[in-house]
Amino acid sequence: MDFSYTILIPLIPLALFIVLGIFSKKIPPSISGWIGSLGLGTSFVLSWYTAYTYFLEGKLNGVYQTFIYKNTWLNFTDKLHIDMGVLIDPISVMMLVVVSTISFMVHLYSRGYMKGDDGYTRFFSYLALFSFSMFGLVLATNLFQIYIFWELVGASSFLLIGYYYTKPSAVAAAKKAFIVTRFADLGFLIGILVVSYYAGTFDFQEINNLQGSIITNWAATSFMGLSVFTWGLILIYMGGIGKSAMLPFHIWLPDAMEGPTPVSALIHAATMVVAGVYLVARLFPVYYFVEDGFALQIVAYIGAISSLVAAVIAITQTDIKRVLAFSTMSQIGYMMLALGVSKYDGHEGLGFMASMFHLFTHAMFKALLFLGAGSVIHAIHSNEMGDMGGLRKYMPITHITFLIAALSIAGFPGFAGFFSKDEILAAAFENNMLIYISSVFVAGLTAFYMFRLYFGIFWGQEKQYKHTPHESPWSMTIPMIFLAFMSIAGGYFHFSEYVTADHIPFKSHLDLPLAAIATSVGLIGIILAFVFYKKENNLPERFAHAFGVFYKWTYHKFYFDELYIFITKKVLFGVVGFSAAWFDKYIVDASMVGIGNVTVSISNKIKGLQSGKFQDYAMSFIGGGVVIAMVIFYLWIN
Amino acid sequence: MNLESLLLMRSEIGLTAIIVLLIIFEIFTNKKQKAKIIPFALILLAINTILGFFPLNTGEIFGGMFRTNTLLHFFKTTLSLGVLILLLQSADWLKEKIVAENKATEFIILIISSLLGAYFMISAGDFLMFYIGLELTTLPVAALVAYETYKRISAEGAVKYILSSALASGTSLFGISLLYATTGTIYFDAMAEILTSSNLAILGFVFFFSGLAFKISLVPFHFWTADVYEGAPINVASYLSVISKGAAVVILMILLFTVFKPLMPAWNKIIYIVTIATMFTGNLFALRQQNMKRFLAYSSIAQAGFILLGLLSVDQLGTATVIYFVAIYIFSNLGAFGVVQAISSATNKENIDDYEGLYRTNPKLSLVMMLALFSLAGIPPLAGFFGKFFLYTAAASKGYYVMVFIAVVNATISLYYYLLVVRAMFLRKGNNPIPYFRSGNYMRLGLLIAAIGILVIGLYSPIYEYIYSFSNVFLN
Amino acid sequence: MDILSLFVVVPVLTVLVLVFAKNLKQARVISLIGMAIQFAMSINLIFAYIKERATNTDIMVFTKDVVWFENFNIHYSIGVDAISVVMIALTSTVVLAGIFISWKIDDLAKEFFVSLIVLSSGVFGFFISTDLFTMFVFYEIAVIPMYLLIGIWGSGPKENSAMKLTLMLMGASAVLSVGILGIYFNSNADGGALTFNIFEIAQVHIPEAAQNLFFPFVFIGFAVIGALFPFHTWSPSGHASAPTAVSMLHAGVLMKLGGYGVFRIAMYLLPLGALNWTDFFLVLAAFGVIYGAFGATMQKDLKYVNAYASVSHLALVLFALLMINKTAWNGAIIQSLSHGLLTALFFALIGMVYGRTHTREIEKLGGLMKILPFIGAIYVITGLAYLGLPGFSGFVAEMSVFVGAFQHPDMFHRVLTIVVVSSIVVTAVYILRMVGKIMMGPLSNMEYAKLPKATWYEKTGLILLMIPVVIIGVMPLGLSEMLKASIQPFLERLL
Repeated sequence: MDFSYTILIPLIPLALFIVLGIFSKKIPPSISGWIGSLGLGTSFVLSWYTAYTYFLEGKLNGVYQTFIYKNTWLNFTDKLHIDMGVLIDPISVMMLVVVSTISFMVHLYSRGYMKGDDGYTRFFSYLALFSFSMFGLVLATNLFQIYIFWELVGASSFLLIGYYYTKPSAVAAAKKAFIVTRFADLGFLIGILVVSYYAGTFDFQEINNLQGSIITNWAATSFMGLSVFTWGLILIYMGGIGKSAMLPFHIWLPDAMEGPTPVSALIHAATMVVAGVYLVARLFPVYYFVEDGFALQIVAYIGAISSLVAAVIAITQTDIKRVLAFSTMSQIGYMMLALGVSKYDGHEGLGFMASMFHLFTHAMFKALLFLGAGSVIHAIHSNEMGDMGGLRKYMPITHITFLIAALSIAGFPGFAGFFSKDEILAAAFENNMLIYISSVFVAGLTAFYMFRLYFGIFWGQEKQYKHTPHESPWSMTIPMIFLAFMSIAGGYFHFSEYVTADHIPFKSHLDLPLAAIATSVGLIGIILAFVFYKKENNLPERFAHAFGVFYKWTYHKFYFDELYIFITKKVLFGVVGFSAAWFDKYIVDASMVGIGNVTVSISNKIKGLQSGKFQDYAMSFIGGGVVIAMVIFYLWIN
Repeated sequence: MNLESLLLMRSEIGLTAIIVLLIIFEIFTNKKQKAKIIPFALILLAINTILGFFPLNTGEIFGGMFRTNTLLHFFKTTLSLGVLILLLQSADWLKEKIVAENKATEFIILIISSLLGAYFMISAGDFLMFYIGLELTTLPVAALVAYETYKRISAEGAVKYILSSALASGTSLFGISLLYATTGTIYFDAMAEILTSSNLAILGFVFFFSGLAFKISLVPFHFWTADVYEGAPINVASYLSVISKGAAVVILMILLFTVFKPLMPAWNKIIYIVTIATMFTGNLFALRQQNMKRFLAYSSIAQAGFILLGLLSVDQLGTATVIYFVAIYIFSNLGAFGVVQAISSATNKENIDDYEGLYRTNPKLSLVMMLALFSLAGIPPLAGFFGKFFLYTAAASKGYYVMVFIAVVNATISLYYYLLVVRAMFLRKGNNPIPYFRSGNYMRLGLLIAAIGILVIGLYSPIYEYIYSFSNVFLN
Repeated sequence: MDILSLFVVVPVLTVLVLVFAKNLKQARVISLIGMAIQFAMSINLIFAYIKERATNTDIMVFTKDVVWFENFNIHYSIGVDAISVVMIALTSTVVLAGIFISWKIDDLAKEFFVSLIVLSSGVFGFFISTDLFTMFVFYEIAVIPMYLLIGIWGSGPKENSAMKLTLMLMGASAVLSVGILGIYFNSNADGGALTFNIFEIAQVHIPEAAQNLFFPFVFIGFAVIGALFPFHTWSPSGHASAPTAVSMLHAGVLMKLGGYGVFRIAMYLLPLGALNWTDFFLVLAAFGVIYGAFGATMQKDLKYVNAYASVSHLALVLFALLMINKTAWNGAIIQSLSHGLLTALFFALIGMVYGRTHTREIEKLGGLMKILPFIGAIYVITGLAYLGLPGFSGFVAEMSVFVGAFQHPDMFHRVLTIVVVSSIVVTAVYILRMVGKIMMGPLSNMEYAKLPKATWYEKTGLILLMIPVVIIGVMPLGLSEMLKASIQPFLERLL
């Protein structure tokens, strides 16, 4: 079976980017929007076709085969070389579907959302660039290729967050996002260096090879008590933490909401932010087998903590996009912990499957939530919950789709989120009780803040709108409807038949008791939200007061930003940078200039010697002669 | 001795003839025709120079008092060319200033006789001839320094010069007598065989050396230089800095390599010390000079220091390089002095500040000046670079790396003050820059020759190879 | 006339013609023609080289040897390998772009172009010569015009900057000359004749003591122009004061002479000395990388930012060279290229901004993207390329250096590499700070609203520089393989 055509999936957006980018001034918006959507549409079709063929025929005696098509791009050493190519296996195919679907939908949506923006074409060229990079990332055949596209998605995210580049907050957010992830990527890069140095390869196949050198003798070289590979993997995961906005590198994600809402939907909800999950999944065998999954433990705990913290913060935020942002973070935490608790073989690898499953469903309903939020913002030109209320009658479609998405993420039975979340909880329950409990709690919180949002926007008191809100145009609602459909239907894919850690399908079944617990917790959350936010009342304030300091802390996101600003601005650049500059100016440069000044000053000192009196000259003449003579005699004697 | 052996003195005879002719001319011309003396003299000297390029066979006459060979002959020709350029550069100044006072002839005659002295000095075969030559080079210049009698500063300069030179020749005469006392001969060759490094001999050498060191203006025998240069007419200062210094360097080298070879361990220590002292003193003093003449005076002291590097390696390489460098140095310095001369005779301005914005008014002059200064600083592709680099090579060839390092440090210092002048001419716009003026044709020709020399001597390697080919005559 | 000597002859002829130029129009047209020919020749040279290399396996090709000073065995001997070829291509590109950028030079136009081209001829000569003496001559020819270029056409405290720069560089070359003489007089160690010819000396076994003695002279002599800490202080002030085209040429090309010289002479002719001294200089270089980066974050003047960035990026070149590893060296050379192009781009852009707004202070600028879309776009792209974004030359270079350096068997060297790698974050910080402030955000000054858009010659200059950046970034394989082949013989000396 030949999948080499999949190379087109990234190349089409690349072509789009180049065309739209270079002629962004020439091409009229009316056309560029269509070109973009058309191009991504093609990628969309190709991806689904790939998925269809692969999952139907990709198996060889029960195991999903891996197809690789690559060329050398740059040679470092005879062993270390960067290849560019495509790697087709269950997770990459699954990601292709996710990315192409969301990207296509967002393209369609943006045609309506961005209408009238003077950078319309530029926007679509950026979207194309991002899609290209993201496809390249998921199709990567080796560590360095994934790093390359990893950087590129970072850059396109920078460009898209800073899309409204005249808006200081947007520029700041863009810089923050880039630099924070860049710092995380530093870890990634060093990780790559370490792993490749000891493994002598970048290639995923060789790294993941169960009989390969790493997995068979990871213990050979250790550093500070841990295997160097563990160190390498932890460092690589650092990159993942950055991109997926896990603690402690999550601070960029809320600010990233400065970007246009479709961008948030595409990049900061569905695709780029799950790159971290994908990275770990991509290297899952190594993570699992090296040092008995020590690194994987870290993945699990960071995931769990992030999901909890994010969920808590989400409750108190009032900017709807920020709520969604924290919800995204929390859901990705879910995926991480699912990976973390997973094992490798067969049904043991439930967590892996669940994580991928949740990645899929989450992409659908979270994108939908963002698009819905976008549609609301589009209508009333505000992100603040305070400015919203009772919108259901003005924008029915948005309302219904949003509700579906909310139910789905809340894990309401029958919706996509229900199934994937249930698998995750099951996996956690089997392997790590602590994490399981926190996840269940998070499930409740999720339901609560999500419905707080829902009720806050669509029910409750109507506000004084400048001009009456109206439903968004079809160009925007159609993608929402499609995603709404996916947010339900997505759950009925039998993921365990397709995407598993060891590429061998297995049968997964719904674990009823666990599902019951999760659902009931979810319901409690929904009911609480109903009580608090269905109608305007003073309960929220009362509770806020009840919690007092804790509320304040959560509201300020536990002061993470302040901490970072202190470390970077004050310590790093305030102290280190400043002292470097000072040292350069007053020590190094001064000493160089000093040499010159000393010479000049000497020359000023000695000017007295030239008195202009002949007597002195004669003196020095005779004296000089004698001195020389004496020196010679002295040297002569010794 | 027969007639053609007299031909060994061809150049000397030539110069004498010129002097005689000039005197006759002086006698048989009336006031109006006096101006004609300048082209006349120039032509004669030019002829003599050109004749100089014809080979001359080696030999000695007067029982070895006078000797000549390719090296000496070549160098004489170089000097004569230098003087020719010098006279070209002074021609206009003579026309304006001196002819009026009806003293042009003397000026030329004095210069040429001093040159004649230089000839005899370097061709000397014994200390007597050497001493006569030395005096003959010195005394006419003393008269020249005071040439502009109405200038008090000139008079002062002249006195200082005459006194110091008297002191110098006295000292070196004393040195010679000490040497005679140790060896009983004044003939170079004879002395070379007998001389042993006895304390007396060394003492004699030191005093003798200080006499020459005065003419080369090595530290600590240099103090007269700045004052005299400042006092003297520019072309005289220029003459002092190139011709008499050049001649002195060469004879010093010859004597060191031949007569004083036995004392080498002693004298190369002296040279070592003196070189360092000279380079540093010259450079450090030059840093803060405002008057171009004083500036060039100290720069020429520093240059003398560099020349001595060549003496440290007693071999063909060193000899060739010294001759080569002196030739280059003559051209470079004449270029610089020429421009100073041109500007001062047009505007009476001699300070560096006055040169501000010169390029924008007189680009050609500034370019020549820049070439000359960069050549002195040793910037490629100008001749000075090759001269300096080969001097370093000569020193390094005998392992004097420390000395080379000191030298390159000094070269960097010197670059600084040469750049100061360039800065004034090119970088600065100047509040009242020197207005455009057209210097006379003689001057232009003089500067042109100098500039061509600066550009060609370095890049055109056969010149060095030619010098090298005969540089072994004094080494056996 | 052979294909290489033309690279020196064409500039000289251009200068000779320039002397007769009447005004700015003639002057720039003449220089443009001359340098365009030069550029065409350099492109041609690349293909000629590839063609020649297919059959010719010597270290240097297109060699030519003419005796110059017989007594010293000085030859005018020239030849190129892949490294010099790409350097020549870089130079001709930057010079040509420089001509475009200085299209409107107002004061003493003729002299400006003359000095610029003389400088370039020196650089070309340096890159083609295989004889120490000849190389040294060209090196100084390349340095001296800087004094006039900065001093006459510069801005700010131009006189002092020019003087500082010239003295430090000439002082360095003075130190270098000692080293060269040291090599020269040890070139007969195996009983042969003294020689300046690099490849003849490479056959000689210079005694280790001599190598240890003279390596620092040669290395520092070149490191100063490579702006290695602590000898970099001439560069910020020099760049800041220099006119645009000169900053471009200087940071883009002249500073590369340092790395090139270290590679060609210091490490090739004094391998033992190199091996004994690496650790010391390695630490200096590594420090320089971080130091320069942090220095850049603190600057207020755009040109200073770029100057310190150059200090950091060129320290990386020396760092890579001292790692003595094929990949790292390959990276070092690509880094030289890439930095040359990018820094030239930056200086060109800064020049354009400065020429319009008359300020280079980051705080005073803002939101120019809206007014100057083309310049703004290129500025952002250059910035991203500069901080090592994949798809641009910078990434290829840095990654080669990092991966190569990290292959070092010794733990200390690998740790040092990690330290150096961390500079990429700081780079991102100062680049984004600069780009974010001056291009993005609200317009800082309403008068900027009617700044003139980029002119055709400015665009040409920028695109000219941008094209190779992208080409190297997107398809580096050919280049790196070509370079590696040429690196091999030089590397073998140190193994």
